[in-house]
Amino acid sequence: MAGFSELIKTFEKTRDYIRDFFIYGCKARGEFVRKSSRTYDDEKRRAESWLGDVIRYDDSMHGRQVSISVDSGHIPENPLYQAYGAKSFTDNDIRLHFLLLDLLADGRPQNLRTLTDRLSTEYAAVFDEQTVRNKLREYTAEGLLTSEIQGKTAYYRIVPETAAKLLAEYPGLDEAVRFYSEDEEFGVIGAQILRSTGLRNDIFYRKHHYIVHTLEDAVLPEFLAAAAEKRRVCFRTFSAKAQRRPDSEGGSFEVVPMQILASVQTGRRYLAAYIPEQKRFHAFRLDFIRNVKRSVPEPDYDRLAEVYHRNLAHVFGVSFGMRRDLGAVEPVILTITLNEHTEGYIRERLEREKRIGSLEKAGEGLYTLTVDAFDPNEVMHWSKTLIGRIVSVEGGTKQMRGRFYYDICRMRNMYGGDADDAVS
Amino acid sequence: MTLFHEMYGAYFRIAARVLDAAPLTDRQVNEIVAAEGFRDSVLFVPQKLLPQADGSDWGLLRRNPDGTLAAVTKHKPVMPLTLLQKRWLKARLSDPKMQLFFDDETFAALTDALADVSPLWQPELFRYTDRFSDGDPFTEPAYRAHFRALLHAIRTKAIVQIRFQTGGGRRIAMQYLPLAIEYSRKNDKFRLYCRSVRGNRLAGSGIINLGRIEQVTETGRHYDGEISLTEYFQMRRNRTHVTVRVTTERNAVERFLMEFASYEKHTERDAETGTLTVKLYYDKQDETELLIQLLSFGPVLEILGPPDFRAQAAERVLRQYELLGLNKEEQDAP
Repeated sequence: MAGFSELIKTFEKTRDYIRDFFIYGCKARGEFVRKSSRTYDDEKRRAESWLGDVIRYDDSMHGRQVSISVDSGHIPENPLYQAYGAKSFTDNDIRLHFLLLDLLADGRPQNLRTLTDRLSTEYAAVFDEQTVRNKLREYTAEGLLTSEIQGKTAYYRIVPETAAKLLAEYPGLDEAVRFYSEDEEFGVIGAQILRSTGLRNDIFYRKHHYIVHTLEDAVLPEFLAAAAEKRRVCFRTFSAKAQRRPDSEGGSFEVVPMQILASVQTGRRYLAAYIPEQKRFHAFRLDFIRNVKRSVPEPDYDRLAEVYHRNLAHVFGVSFGMRRDLGAVEPVILTITLNEHTEGYIRERLEREKRIGSLEKAGEGLYTLTVDAFDPNEVMHWSKTLIGRIVSVEGGTKQMRGRFYYDICRMRNMYGGDADDAVS
Repeated sequence: MTLFHEMYGAYFRIAARVLDAAPLTDRQVNEIVAAEGFRDSVLFVPQKLLPQADGSDWGLLRRNPDGTLAAVTKHKPVMPLTLLQKRWLKARLSDPKMQLFFDDETFAALTDALADVSPLWQPELFRYTDRFSDGDPFTEPAYRAHFRALLHAIRTKAIVQIRFQTGGGRRIAMQYLPLAIEYSRKNDKFRLYCRSVRGNRLAGSGIINLGRIEQVTETGRHYDGEISLTEYFQMRRNRTHVTVRVTTERNAVERFLMEFASYEKHTERDAETGTLTVKLYYDKQDETELLIQLLSFGPVLEILGPPDFRAQAAERVLRQYELLGLNKEEQDAP
C-alpha cells in the first residue's frame, strides 16, 4: 500500500465513501464505479480504520455480501468524527502552528517581522515573511489570534480563552458539551472541544441516532450562512442513480435556501429551497449534494420566506408536491378505530404524530384524522404505521387510494392463510 | 472559519500531547500516537515527530544527550478556543435543553460571556418534520432539578431514591444507582439508565423516563464498586432478533438501510437480486415501535420471523384487510 496516507485533502470524496460503507456496508468494489480501484482500496482502509468497532464487512462469501453493525445507541462517541480529524497539511503548517503559538504564549502582541526573526533565532526555523503572514491571517480568521494595527503595523496577540478555562469557569458546561457532542448537527465541534481538554463523553447516549449525519456537517455551514445572509446558493446534486453513472456530473442548481428539514424517523435530511428557475419550492437530499457555494443576494428573500412558511402548513413530511402532475389534491381523511377504554394510548399517539393534521372524534371508538397536504403520498406512507386500525381512506387522489388498497392486499397475501410458510 | 481544518486533527492533537509530556522517550511517543491516533498512525506519525538526520521531521522535538526527547518549544502547548467553537457554544445556548446543565446564575453568566459572538446557526433554520410533539418539559424547574440531581448522582456514584409513575400509571419509589442518560430526538425525551439497589448490592437494570419522575431524594449512600455500562447493556439486551427480507422495489433497500442504520444488525445481500436478509436486534420494550416501523414499509419488506413476531404483523395486516372490506376492483393493481 505504498503512498497511502491516513489524511485526506478534501472532505467530499471521503464523505461519499464513508457514507456508502456505513449505510450499505455490503457494497462491493465493483459498485464504486465512479472511482479507480486504488482510490477504493485507500478509502476502504480509512473506513475500516474509523468504523472498525462499529461495522464489519465480508464481501467474499459466494453470491452474498455480509455486513455486521453494532447499535449506535450504545456508542458514547460517534466514530465518524474521526473523518474530521484527518485533514492533510504540510510540514510547515504544523511547525508554524506550534512555534507561533509558543512565541505568542506570553500574551504580548508581536508583529510579523519580530515573529519571523524569532522563529529563525530561537528555533532555527527559517520562513519567509509571506508564509508567516498567511498563517497569522489564517489564524486570525479562525479566531486563535487577534490583530491590532499600531501605526501602520499589525500586531498579533493570542486569544486568552481556552476550552479548559471556560469549562472550569462555568460549572456544568463540561457536561453540556459532553451531551451536545453527540448531537446530529455539529456535534463534532463539541467532541473537538472535549478532546482538546482531554475529556470524553462517557454518560450521554442517544436513541434513534443517525451517526452518519455528521458527514453532512461539512456542507451545512454554507447553507446556514447563505440563509442568514439571504443569499442564493449553488450546488450539484447526485441522486443514487446519478452516483452509479461514472460520467454523471449531477444536476446543477441555484436556489434560495430556506430551512434544513430533518426526519428523525427515516434518517433523511433535506435542504428546503426555492428554485427561481422553476418557480417552486423543493426539498433536496442533503447527502446527495456536492460543491456548495454561496451566490448572489436574493432581493426577494423575505417575501419568499413568508410564502415558504405559509406553505409549510401543507407539508406533512418534506414534499411540496407536484401539483402540475397530481392536479388538485383533496385533503386525506383517515378514519381510525380504537378501544376508548383500553387503547387511550393510540389516541395519544395520533395527537403527538399528526403533525399538520387535525384529529376529531367521529363516534364511539372512531376518530378522523384530516390532513390537507400537498403530497398525500407522504400521509399514506405514515398511515401504514396504523395498519390494523384504518377503517377508511378518503380524499387524496384515486391513484393514492388505489396504491394503498393494493399494498394491503399484497401484505395480506404475504402474511395470510395457510400458505404462511416463511416462518424461520 | 472551517470545520475541516488540520488544527482540529488527530496529528495536531498527538503533537500537542507529546510536547505537553516532554521530555519523554521514543516509547512514550509511540504510546501517545497509539492512544490518540487512527488505527495505522503508528506507521506514519512517529517518524515525523522524532528528529531525523535528513530534516524530514516536523522539527518539534530534539534529542537530549541522555537519549530522551525534548520539546523545542518553551511553553506547554496552548490551544485557544476557536471562533467556530465559540459560535457553536452560542448556538447551543438557544436550545432549551442547555439550561438543564446549569443553575440560573451560571447560565446567565455564560450567556453574558458569549454576548458578542454570533451563533453558528439560528434554531429556526432546522425543522424536525416527524418529531413527536409531546417532548419533555426541559425548562420546568422541577424537571431541571431532577436532571441535575441525577447527573450529580451519576458522577458521585450516589444511590438515590426515585419516585416515578410507570407507563401504566403505577407509582413506584425505589432506590437506584443512576448510570447514564439517554436522549431520543424522535421522542424529544430523556431517559435514565439505572440499576436498582437492594441492601448494598446492585440488582436489576432499569430505564426511567425523566418526564415521569416526581421526586429524586439523596440517601446519603454511595456505591463503591465498579460500574460497567457494558454489563448494563447486556442485561437489557433482548437476545431475540427479528429477521426481515427487503426487496429492491420502490428503493426499499436504500430506505431500509438508512432508516435502520442505528440498529445492531447482520445484513446479507444477495449479489444477484440485491435483496437483503437482515437480522435486527432490539430491546424487548421497543418491540411495538419496531413492528409498526417495519410494517410502514408495506409489501416491499417481509417479516420472516421469529414466529410470534411475524404473527403479530400478520394479525394487524389481516385485521386491516378485513376493516377495509375491499371489492375486486380495489384489490387490483392501480
